[in-house]
Amino acid sequence: MNKLAQKYLRPSQIPTKACHGCGIGMIENWLLQAIDELGLKQEDVIFGTGIGCVGRQTFATWGGDNFGATHGRALAVATGLKLAQPDKKYLIVVGDGDAASIGTSHLIHAARRNLGVTVICEDNMGYESTGGQFSPTTPAGYVTNSSPYGMAEPSFDPCDVVKAAGATFVAETTATQWHQTVKIVKKALANDGFSFVHVRFPCNENFGAYALGTRDTLKNLEWIYEHTQGRKADGSETDFTWETGIKHDASNSRPEFSKIMRDMNERVRADMAAKAAAKSARA
Amino acid sequence: MATLDLASAETLHAPWVEWERRGVKGRRILEAGTYALTEGAIAAGCRVFAGYPITPATDIAEYMSKRLPQVGGYYVQCEDELAGMHACAGASLGGLKAMTATSGPGYTLMHDAYGWSVTNEIPLVVVDAMRVGPISGITGAPGQGEFYVARYCSHGGNFETIVLSPCSVQEAFWLTIDAFNLAERFRTPVTILTDQVVSDMWEDLFVPDDYEALDFVVPRRHNLMMPFYPVGSADIDVAPNVIGHGTGVCVSAYTHTEEGYDIEEMEAQWAQTYRLVNKIRHHRGECTRYETLGFEDAEVVAVAYGANARTVRTGVVEARRRGLRAGFVRPITLWPFIDELYAADRHYVVCELNYDGQLVREVTRAAPDRGKVHFMGKSAELHTVAEVVTALEGVARSGRMPELPYIWTEVR
Repeated sequence: MNKLAQKYLRPSQIPTKACHGCGIGMIENWLLQAIDELGLKQEDVIFGTGIGCVGRQTFATWGGDNFGATHGRALAVATGLKLAQPDKKYLIVVGDGDAASIGTSHLIHAARRNLGVTVICEDNMGYESTGGQFSPTTPAGYVTNSSPYGMAEPSFDPCDVVKAAGATFVAETTATQWHQTVKIVKKALANDGFSFVHVRFPCNENFGAYALGTRDTLKNLEWIYEHTQGRKADGSETDFTWETGIKHDASNSRPEFSKIMRDMNERVRADMAAKAAAKSARA
Repeated sequence: MATLDLASAETLHAPWVEWERRGVKGRRILEAGTYALTEGAIAAGCRVFAGYPITPATDIAEYMSKRLPQVGGYYVQCEDELAGMHACAGASLGGLKAMTATSGPGYTLMHDAYGWSVTNEIPLVVVDAMRVGPISGITGAPGQGEFYVARYCSHGGNFETIVLSPCSVQEAFWLTIDAFNLAERFRTPVTILTDQVVSDMWEDLFVPDDYEALDFVVPRRHNLMMPFYPVGSADIDVAPNVIGHGTGVCVSAYTHTEEGYDIEEMEAQWAQTYRLVNKIRHHRGECTRYETLGFEDAEVVAVAYGANARTVRTGVVEARRRGLRAGFVRPITLWPFIDELYAADRHYVVCELNYDGQLVREVTRAAPDRGKVHFMGKSAELHTVAEVVTALEGVARSGRMPELPYIWTEVR
């Protein structure tokens, strides 16, 4: 176990049951690095997750308080929890199913409210724990176990969705960009508002095997890396390109959701007190 | 089976009978059921309401949006009912008492969060103001279609639920406090299964002046140490788990260990199931609330709950005035079901606001002679006193429901 894991995780819960070569553990380690560099302690961070590969493999690994919501609802739970515990940092680590499919309505409205959480959307481009079906972030045309003739639908970019909805920090990165991801997550956690970090990573067992034709971790990582560059190793162009980096940074530019609510309460109660004082002065 | 005190002519068995005798200072006003449900919640210490407006529960959301900021609480109008109940669960996990309110179509959407709250032993109160179904049905009329839905309020089985139903505006107030108390003590969501009539009607309501002084309100406590999920049924009244106090608690959708770690072993599942079912079943006497009338000599007993019980009760009183040995029972606790109320071998006429017959199935199961259990279903309007009297007289005379006055089906 490395030092960061020793400092922040639960020894009894790692290693997880993740498949060989899965990127989830590696990305979690990067999250720990960001947390450590910000000087945050276990009790400062509440770790929330959902269902699927990312939910199952990260739940209860965090040494502090954890919750694993029903599928897609981590942000709905966090909306209530943030009101009760406004001073905590929230790391909501979910997959593409949780964030971009079954829970998209909560994602949109958490962004609209500027809910003070950092969402790490770890995207393996499909439903891999159920055996490798396509998701809304699977690139169009790619073969999965539920798109044997190629995914017929267009996919979408969840970064565009949350930016349009009002997120105050939006970034995209991949499992091939260690240092960039750590820097981005630090910025995301420093935003007192809704931060969204989209991290693509390879699934070797399903997406790799069926869409890319290999279970080789390095080859799958290379495929992701090429698509961040727009160019393959042989110099030819890739079929599409992912723009990575910070896509929108309006950190701390508008009030956070639970602060809006607390401020309103204070205003209402101050008005009540003033009215009561005026009434007793008249009497 | 526990022995119930059914000897007296008129019995209301509920904690608020004693609360009302305490001489609490307050004021009497004319208000709606939704107002009473809201004020009852605030009196019980509810500080978060997260939900989605729906007829006929909308007024609860509106009252909450006004009242909660005044008492330092939070009103969250969510994107849907899924978010609403999950946000309530989150708030409760954070240490605040929370409630949501909805009607049938929204209640169905909450089942995801309901199961999550049941398995994680999260105290919450859910109001379902029933209207006429299926689906959107008739929004502004009373129904009683969620009797079983409230029992099986999430998939998967392996749990027991607590469901209470008020029949007046005043009772809605007290019962809401009671629901919060039960939720806290049993660490579970409690459903208040009310209906469009009780929600929307205006009645005389006594409201205490000082909610802080109500010493029968069970306060929120925090469980700050292991075990987070006790095994066995003995430990009720343990403090709910809290996130944000650095206890390292784990809350999830999975079968859990005492620490809250996910586990896929049958022994853990058996332990969890035993706990979720029997923490309520083994203490069901603490959840038992009901009203009876004329049980000492009744040959025919009318059974009804909610708004419907009001006219059915009047029908029973009228039948007794005419010399019929009629009785009345109103289960306030719908779940866990109070089998003992139907232990005597006599006729039961079950009056419900649905045509398929739901409560009647449980009465049939509990009654000694299923041939003596009769069903009188209606929908969107209450049973009239005349209908109830006609039915009771018919059953008393011939042991069968009369052809008139109304639609019914004998449920077999």
